[in-house]
Amino acid sequence: MMTGAGTHGTWRRGGPGLAAVAAALALLLSPACLTHLRNAKAAYTEAQELSQQYRTDKAVAAYKRALAEASLEAAKNPSAQAFMLKGMAEANLELWREAETSFVKAAGLGFGDGEAWASDVSLLGLARSFEELGFREPSLRAYENLLGKSSFKPVRLAAAERYADLTLARALALADAERARALADLVRTIERLEAADFACGYYHYLHAQAEGHRGGFRRGYEEAVMARELGLPSEKVLRDNDNQVVFCYDKLAASSDAAERAALETAHAAWAKKWGWKDARTPGWKTA
Amino acid sequence: MSKKDIESALARGVEILDEFLPLRTTLYFPILYSACVWAVRRVFDYRERILAWQVWLDPEAVLTKPDEFILHFFSADEALRRAYAAELASRDMKALRAAFPALYPVRGLEDAFLKALFKKELAAGDYRKIAAEFAARAAKARDDIRPAAADARFWAALENLGAELAALGIHLLSDEDVEKAVIRAVKKKAAKGAQGG
Repeated sequence: MMTGAGTHGTWRRGGPGLAAVAAALALLLSPACLTHLRNAKAAYTEAQELSQQYRTDKAVAAYKRALAEASLEAAKNPSAQAFMLKGMAEANLELWREAETSFVKAAGLGFGDGEAWASDVSLLGLARSFEELGFREPSLRAYENLLGKSSFKPVRLAAAERYADLTLARALALADAERARALADLVRTIERLEAADFACGYYHYLHAQAEGHRGGFRRGYEEAVMARELGLPSEKVLRDNDNQVVFCYDKLAASSDAAERAALETAHAAWAKKWGWKDARTPGWKTA
Repeated sequence: MSKKDIESALARGVEILDEFLPLRTTLYFPILYSACVWAVRRVFDYRERILAWQVWLDPEAVLTKPDEFILHFFSADEALRRAYAAELASRDMKALRAAFPALYPVRGLEDAFLKALFKKELAAGDYRKIAAEFAARAAKARDDIRPAAADARFWAALENLGAELAALGIHLLSDEDVEKAVIRAVKKKAAKGAQGG
């Protein structure tokens, strides 16, 4: 999943001599170097802005531009900043192995968070490999570990997505009581993620999905509405979330008394109008 | 807006596809139709848009759904309700769960490429055929489109076509008219090919 950027790390300040600083400055200020680094930063910033507006496809194109420019910069003038930018662009494009290598190089050149981020993307790659090979339990543990410790947002989001999906798949096969416990644990995990980053619509989307599994249709509806309002990372997720809104709305309406149903219908009609839906149960993108 | 101009542009679109994807005529309609859908919305990052359907098969969205959601998906949609009436009546979750991964991206999420790929079955209401053939046909389409997808000139040509269609006012046509115009253009080319033209 393509996501917004993670947090920026701190920069270690070494003690190069005046002559070295002057030489480095001269190199950095040369037009070619400035162009690649500046272009990489500009493209990365543009990608972040597009990502925040959930214009995913254009954001991907901008991340690719940022990666190309950062790669040129890293080849011509290797620096912590160039490799960090390269790694962040790669992570946002889900090139996890390449991102790991870039962060290791950035760490070697003085980027403080480089080692931790490299370790996070490496663990994510390992978890995915486990999953592809059918080892669900170790992959689940790895995703859970990343959710608890990673400070790099693209990794945290990717881990949350896989952790939720795998947990839901496992819960489906459990007996009622065990399933209820597994889903309650999942909801608690997602609530922790929401508490740390409440404005992230994707976490509310995951919350809505989990509530749908445990029959919490009111909470599921509220979370899906919140996810839509805060924004979602792709058209596919947005459409799936719209379907979840309709599903929870129908379930809630069917189980409500007349007064509750009337209140729900009024509130939902206001959301549907705001979102440009054709009617209470038909999102604007739906033709069938 | 002139319908004739749009039809000429679509005919050029078919020529582009013929150049980049010779003998892959089954892909002409889905690619051209999805290009038109995005031209209507004036969105021209075609490579990501048209190839998005491949991503749509992957679990970026949570596609592990509870029984209640799957029952709702089949019963809230009139056509699906009719097609799967027996399974719904007996609450045959095994059968419904088996059909869901194919029908949800096509009918539930409405991906333009997949909708066009299964247009014939959708028009005939033959959802069982979509469920039965989805995996094989989606995999074949993925393999067939690969040579053109790797060629930047292919996407540039499609993007130019989209911009031209938008400038000609394709957004003023209904979805049905766009669909008919694309079908006419593809059929015309097929007839020409049959005559050795």
